[in-house]
Amino acid sequence: MASTLDEPTMALIVRHDLNLSTGKVAVQCAHAAVTCTLNAKKTNGRLVERWRQSGARKICLKVEDLADLQRLAGQAQSAGIVSYLVKDAGHTEVEPGTITVLGLGPGPRRAIDALVGELKPY
Amino acid sequence: MGLRSFIHSMTAPRTRGEAPEDEVKMVFVVNHGLKMGKGKIAAQVGHGAVIATMKAGKERPGHLESWLSSGQKKICVKGNDAEHLERLEQEAKQLNILTARVHDAGHTQIPSGSFTILALGPAEEAKLEPVTGALKLL
Repeated sequence: MASTLDEPTMALIVRHDLNLSTGKVAVQCAHAAVTCTLNAKKTNGRLVERWRQSGARKICLKVEDLADLQRLAGQAQSAGIVSYLVKDAGHTEVEPGTITVLGLGPGPRRAIDALVGELKPY
Repeated sequence: MGLRSFIHSMTAPRTRGEAPEDEVKMVFVVNHGLKMGKGKIAAQVGHGAVIATMKAGKERPGHLESWLSSGQKKICVKGNDAEHLERLEQEAKQLNILTARVHDAGHTQIPSGSFTILALGPAEEAKLEPVTGALKLL
């Protein structure tokens, strides 16, 4: 039995400076979760399956602004973690093309914790 | 799913399925009676979206394909409580709309097993309207 630290996880990181509504954030996080899952399935199907079997763990965190989000996205790429930046279509609340949420994983929990361990829950 | 069937599902040619006639979207009904925090709601809706996507991949590949290629349109609305979500689930099933439930593992904030989110679709907007049209946006 693997310890929980070996279980794959996903992190959804929200930009706090946009002051999005709860529903908007939820939808943007869903977008990140779906896209990351489908992307990860292409490259590491077994890991995605293991993640789903173990309850598809997800956490929702926040960063201050776009710069923080992009820095994290870069770090994730260097670490080989699946990542996806959600650009809003801008029908409501924000300008079209605004980057709102970063999705990381599903990936090894240790590697993702190393990137987001300092962040506060959203 | 066993490893072999999983590999098969990854490598087999995609079944086309019937293409929907209208724009498709996904609707998430949040159990508002649970007083979840906003991060919790976001993670639970994320669950619902992934579950609904996987389910649609098996049962409605045509709908999934057109939902993904049209920008994954989704909205989030309020439901009163678990009974309300169950009632909406029944109505949706009668209209042949794909449904998925999220039950929380209960590590934080709320009792384990709570019915947190009802995900509907991807389905045609006109089909969803009678079920969720009257609900307030979250």
